[in-house]
Amino acid sequence: MPDVIAMGGLSTSLLIGVQALEVSQGALNATSNNIANANTAGYTREVPAISENAESVSGGVVTGGGVTLTGLQSVRDELLNLQIQQQTSSQSQADTTSTALSQVQTYFSTSGTDIETAFANFSSSLAALSSNPSSSSQQAGVISNGKNLAQAFNNTANGLTNVQSAMDEQVTQTVSQINTLSKQIAQLNSQLSQLTAAGQSGGTVEDQRDQLVQNLSQLTGISVTQSSNGEVITTGNGTPLVMGSQSFTLQTTTGSDGMQQVLDSSGNNVTSSIQGGTLGASITVRDQTIPSYLSQLNTLATQFASAFNAAQAKGYDSNGNTGQAFFSVPSSGTGAAAGLAVAITDPSQIAISSDGSAGSNGNVANLSAALTAALPSGKSPAQSFSDLVYQVGNDASNANTQSSAIAANLLQLTNQQSSVSGVSIDEETTNLIRYQTAYEAAARIVSTIQALSTVTLDMGASQSY
Amino acid sequence: MRVNPNMVPNMLADLAQSQSALNTALQEVATGKSVSQPSDNPSASADMVQNSIETANVDQYTQNTSSALSMVQTADSSLSSVVTSLTQAISLGTEASNGTINASNLQAIATQVQGILSSVVSQANTDYEGVYLFGGTASTTAPYTASSSSASGYTYNGNNNSNSVAIGDDQSVQVNLPGSQVFSNSTTDVLGSLASLVSAIQSGSSSAIESATSSVSAALSYVDQQRVVYGNAETQLNSQETYLQNETVNLTSQQTSLIGIDEATAAETLSADETANSAALAAAAKVLPTTLLNYLSTPQ
Repeated sequence: MPDVIAMGGLSTSLLIGVQALEVSQGALNATSNNIANANTAGYTREVPAISENAESVSGGVVTGGGVTLTGLQSVRDELLNLQIQQQTSSQSQADTTSTALSQVQTYFSTSGTDIETAFANFSSSLAALSSNPSSSSQQAGVISNGKNLAQAFNNTANGLTNVQSAMDEQVTQTVSQINTLSKQIAQLNSQLSQLTAAGQSGGTVEDQRDQLVQNLSQLTGISVTQSSNGEVITTGNGTPLVMGSQSFTLQTTTGSDGMQQVLDSSGNNVTSSIQGGTLGASITVRDQTIPSYLSQLNTLATQFASAFNAAQAKGYDSNGNTGQAFFSVPSSGTGAAAGLAVAITDPSQIAISSDGSAGSNGNVANLSAALTAALPSGKSPAQSFSDLVYQVGNDASNANTQSSAIAANLLQLTNQQSSVSGVSIDEETTNLIRYQTAYEAAARIVSTIQALSTVTLDMGASQSY
Repeated sequence: MRVNPNMVPNMLADLAQSQSALNTALQEVATGKSVSQPSDNPSASADMVQNSIETANVDQYTQNTSSALSMVQTADSSLSSVVTSLTQAISLGTEASNGTINASNLQAIATQVQGILSSVVSQANTDYEGVYLFGGTASTTAPYTASSSSASGYTYNGNNNSNSVAIGDDQSVQVNLPGSQVFSNSTTDVLGSLASLVSAIQSGSSSAIESATSSVSAALSYVDQQRVVYGNAETQLNSQETYLQNETVNLTSQQTSLIGIDEATAAETLSADETANSAALAAAAKVLPTTLLNYLSTPQ
């Protein structure tokens, strides 16, 4: 009987040794995979799940049952991932807004061809006319500065419209990127559910999906929930994008204002309810921010032109005729700033005179007053423009501040995520040494058992002598 | 707690931050401006709109003031010559009226007075850079031209209006008096009284000469009164010139405080940012390549 126990003990040890080899090998695999993916975006480090086998009791003696590698586990924090997705949406929203507004504000910076400089030059050329009303070069100066002012309004309005079109273009592009990502996420969801059904770990697929979801959150604000069908992703306002293995396509169509409208998969217009991400920011800048600037600029152009034309009508030009309109402005109002132009061509048509004689400068005061007096809006042209400059500057500055604040926040979250899921080369190197040692020791067990088995077998042979 | 093993994003964020601070500092020193776009300081940018319009206007008002001053001084010196001429005419008239002058000498005196009349007319036709100073607002044509139909021998082509030059936002100064007011006023007519003096001398009647001389002398004191307008304008323009100089200084200093930099501070910030940037780079270079592997001996 003791003989049997001894033989059983050796084969048990051999079995345990082999299990130890396998586990060490698996752990080495995990380590090498971690090192290999140390710089892969979205990769979550994997740790080998190693568990003790059930012990066996034989003849009142309890023996350890060895070891099993139950699988490789990805180390992730779902809550952190959610927070990172939300912050990513806010970050890309602030960045898109900031980029658009920094383009917008170049038209409101002092550049020599901006409205501020043009107003200053126009105003001083009118004052010059007061000192020398019959000088044809001073008169020509007023016309050319008037043209520059109109041109400055045109450039600013066109600049705003260009940024608006760029945002419109971005809406179309972003929607198509969202659709691509939704489709890919749905596919990964379906793979993941198959793997889970087969009882396999889907860590890698999950990593890929999380990375895509994060990319998606850059494009628009999303909400991610888990349901019995798998992961459900909707936009912030509830328009479905992904439901388990099914994806929903967003569409774009040209709206009545010529801008691209976003439709959900059933054809409802969801443009105004989309928030966050590149898409949300593009839509806000395109439909709210720029139209508000443009409308103020148009009001200013219309009211200033009509005030100046009224002043012009109070006087007489160098030919003794009542002053004609100096500026022409589209009557529709919406294209006022873009269409502002100087209507008169001949410097002699400036209504400088208050009494009809060519040398009088009596009406110059009225013309100058049109630049400083309050418009129907309640503010002088300079004040109205300065308000607009403040608004543009403030919006741009807020977007910048927001962008850097969120960036700091996001960095913090990413650090936290990285401290949970990131691959540490030092840690993996240490593990490499640990598992290497364990593997060597397990191999030693096998060779020792082999030697012992030989001894046991040789024992029988020697008896036959 | 497990420490974040990936220092790269942190390092990059730090490097980006110190690089952006360095860029800003460099730009401020290079341009001399702390605000180069509205978002740098929205309210300063808004205030600058008013400031730059005001600056351009003050520049122009300064030019207006100095050209108005020359115009007023020219007009005043014309009137001063007119006063001298009239004084001369009065003494000639007094000489002619004492009854001891013979006819041929009277003719000579009459010719002299006639000469004074034409010199007064030429003063009345004075222009400043092509602008006639005594034609009212009809300043593009000579105010007085010879005309046989007029009693004085000259007709007025101007009007009764005057021009005012803008020398401040709500301030203007009258720079001319119409000839109809100074020289050919219906009550005190300078040209008319001189013409009557000529014909009185030619007639030889002492009483006529006396009465004509006294109306020239009334005209003289009237012209002298009119000079007050120019004197006041000069005073106003001189004080406005000083005001505008101060205003220019104020606007420039406002501009500096709105969007300018303090050069010493800016240079200091630049060098501090430079140091910070180098330190961040040095730290990154030192820390990033180091792992446990650097200290493990290579497996035999």
